[in-house]
Amino acid sequence: MKDQKNRHTGKEKADFSRRDFLKLSKNIAVGAGVAGILPSMIWLEDGVAAIPVSEGYLLVDTKKCQGCMSCMLACSLVHEGEENLSLARIQVVQNSFERFPVDLTISQCRQCTEPACMEACPTGALHIDTKHGNIRTINEEECIGCMECVKACPFMPGRAIYNDKKEKALKCDLCADTPYWDEPGGPGGKQACVEVCPVGAIKFTKDVPKQKGDEGYVVNLRGRSWRRLGYPRR
Amino acid sequence: MSGYAGKILRVNLTKKEITAIPTKKYEHWVGGHGMGSAIFFDLVKDKTIDGFNPANVVTLMTSPLSGTLVPAASGRTEVQGIGVQSYPIGWFTRSNFGGRFSSMLKYAGWDGVVIEGKASRPVWIDIRNDDVKIRECASLSLWGKDTWECQEIIWDYVAGEGKYGDWIKQNNSEARTTQRPAVVAIGPAGENLSRVACLIHDASSAAGQGGFGAVWGSKNLKAISVIGTGGIKIHDPQGLMAARLWQKKNYAFDLENLIERWGFQHQAPPAPIALWRGGRPKIGQRPQACLGCHSACRARYDDALGNEASCFASVFYWDAKSLDIQRTASDLINKYGLNAVEMCFGLLYIYLLNQNGVLKSSNIPKCPLDFSNYGSEEFVERFVKMVSYGDDGNGNKSQFGKDISGGFVWAAEKWGRREQDLNNGMLSFPYWGLPIHKEPRAQVYWGYATLLGDRDINEHDFDWLKHDAKIAARWGRKTMATAEEAVKIVTDKMVPYQGDMLMMDFSEKNIYSEHMAKLVSWHRYYTRFWKQSMLFCDVRWPDFLNLYAPGKIGSTGIAEPKFLKAVTGKDFSFLDGINLGRKIWNLDHAIWTLQGRHRDMVHFADIIYKRKASWDVDGKAYMPGIENGKWDYHYYARRTLDRNKFDEFKTRFYQLQGWDEASGWPKKKTLDSLGLSYVASELEANGRLGKG
Repeated sequence: MKDQKNRHTGKEKADFSRRDFLKLSKNIAVGAGVAGILPSMIWLEDGVAAIPVSEGYLLVDTKKCQGCMSCMLACSLVHEGEENLSLARIQVVQNSFERFPVDLTISQCRQCTEPACMEACPTGALHIDTKHGNIRTINEEECIGCMECVKACPFMPGRAIYNDKKEKALKCDLCADTPYWDEPGGPGGKQACVEVCPVGAIKFTKDVPKQKGDEGYVVNLRGRSWRRLGYPRR
Repeated sequence: MSGYAGKILRVNLTKKEITAIPTKKYEHWVGGHGMGSAIFFDLVKDKTIDGFNPANVVTLMTSPLSGTLVPAASGRTEVQGIGVQSYPIGWFTRSNFGGRFSSMLKYAGWDGVVIEGKASRPVWIDIRNDDVKIRECASLSLWGKDTWECQEIIWDYVAGEGKYGDWIKQNNSEARTTQRPAVVAIGPAGENLSRVACLIHDASSAAGQGGFGAVWGSKNLKAISVIGTGGIKIHDPQGLMAARLWQKKNYAFDLENLIERWGFQHQAPPAPIALWRGGRPKIGQRPQACLGCHSACRARYDDALGNEASCFASVFYWDAKSLDIQRTASDLINKYGLNAVEMCFGLLYIYLLNQNGVLKSSNIPKCPLDFSNYGSEEFVERFVKMVSYGDDGNGNKSQFGKDISGGFVWAAEKWGRREQDLNNGMLSFPYWGLPIHKEPRAQVYWGYATLLGDRDINEHDFDWLKHDAKIAARWGRKTMATAEEAVKIVTDKMVPYQGDMLMMDFSEKNIYSEHMAKLVSWHRYYTRFWKQSMLFCDVRWPDFLNLYAPGKIGSTGIAEPKFLKAVTGKDFSFLDGINLGRKIWNLDHAIWTLQGRHRDMVHFADIIYKRKASWDVDGKAYMPGIENGKWDYHYYARRTLDRNKFDEFKTRFYQLQGWDEASGWPKKKTLDSLGLSYVASELEANGRLGKG
């Protein structure tokens, strides 16, 4: 394989075969089309660029959630050092008057295999952090606050969020970078929302969920103990 | 000022003025009730006014812990002002509701809201961060709407072009939130000035006592809505996260190792305190918690019937023919904005009047209720409407409806039956014209504190002792601890009286003692500060006896100051809180004194002295006590209190407080020692300063 350099970063392209890549990521990689060459891509020997998948994901059980939003409070606390629901990288939205289970939704970042937010970022601030299990994360220093990532996220509410005071975007990094929490985070460590949830309604997994809407990101975490408290398991 | 927004919103409805009070001015009260009492004292020059007087000031206060990760201390709001529920006068009183209002208020940049005056037309207050508007109800047709509909209309209005479930921009800026505004509203009951009216937030977070719904109605205030996109500065974010995880690991329930299943305990798992006689519906449901709480005490259901109702909101229509009707009744009182406890015992009163054949007597106006229908949905809906609208429940004039809408004790007074019915057991309102809650002849601290204060205390700090012993006796199981063990754990935490185990001896020989005076005092101080000022929730705190903890010793005493320090940086011990609680209690008592309180007024209805309890108001009241030299749990409800001995108890209590024994009025030296000289001056100017 000839040495090639990434047009954007000038970094040497990794010398990987497609087979090696699949072995490395344990998942199907994405062949980059004409959408543009992105930083953090891995170049395969046949010239196809691939995005390594994240090595960690948050799964939620919306039917188990008690709506206390401790996950949101913990998220903004460990990342920003303040309590701020608008800066929580996981969002719980609920309606007191509505029927269970549609009275509540939990919106967590998907760590998508094809991150539209990353593709939309003009500066490379939103990148794949290979040091932390390929999480899709934002380098705050490089973020120019253009909100392209915020607009690009295909989910509602958008998982790339905006800090209007700092004029910077934020997104879930699986707690890889928590200035206000000593616990090692990222795919190999702990996540504040998982640790704090009083009922165990958020789960971390290394397995790539099905990447279709909510499918694969919503799990049933209600065991026998939940049923013993009078709640449905299904 | 870590933990604070830094300013308190002041809204004068008469002048349509919106100003701010710097929180710093009142920071020495730390938050919540203490701040509210101090603000009330400063702003209400004539404390003898009636609750309906436009000069009455209502405060809604937060705590530095509101909106933070502190477990079961983040979501509650303290409400204060002169109430209209109690008899013979509406005392300066308090109420408190859960949910997320206080936190949202702080995210919007406010530590509290102070309401003064009276609007010329019905209005609501629209708070969006720093932008505050007094808006007319007419444009959204809010006046006349029930509390739920009112909230939903406001949600939609505030969302504008936005859609819930998505990010909604605020204040024409890039500031955004996914959250609905937190709205607290009155229903038709408040609009029609019913003394039974309360404030409702979300589905069933209610400031029930005091008749604040009617006070708002008298001010032409329908609702306050708040949406905030800002943050709360935390002194030690690492410490707060560590403290929360410490609490979770050592003191919270363990789902895979459940010890206790239910109750007003820190360690109890998330299960709705749904007391419908038909039990909890066996349908799809989730636990539902206030913001930041570690263990929900409410639920939402797959038919949305009875959403978030708990405790008395679920007890209210006890005799409903079906569970669905009971749940419907819970929704009705929430929608119409009615105090569940007063409605429960008010309905019992009307029912007993009918049962005893006196409802049709000549001094009682014609009752429109059809008791052949009792237990049906039609019956309860009509009853709720009668109390809410002061009519026959069908929109026609009714003197009976008007009378009960004015409060059940007040109605009995009008009918010339108050004294008689208080003492024949039909009107279970034994103190200050307020409904019974716990058996005052057994759980004496509850009744004493209610009488020495302003309202049914509704403080469950020692209530688990009774429930645990009651359940053990009924089901033949062991209590969580022996009486002696439990009393030791509890009293060891009761600084500065720690170690006096006799504080928890409910035997006949001890219930008028100075030990009991200490228990009541400590309870006043603890709740006035840690619960009502720091807003630790009454359901999940204190953490006295905890089966998950080593030696069953819960976290209270350590946890509260640990969390306060992490949020604010204040080096403020548990005892500092108790001492500040004493100061707050003295300030409140001074206000009641200015209102006309005298020791001679402080008595139960005669029935408490003359008749043993003939029924168990809250299940059998087993309490710890020493009999024949041994600690055990005993069933103490079947006794009367002794009027003279209760008078002696009051003397002991007043001595302990440093108040004048003859009048019960505060003494100057006591107030001076608490830094309340300005309060002493006002008492003196009004001729109500205690001697000595």
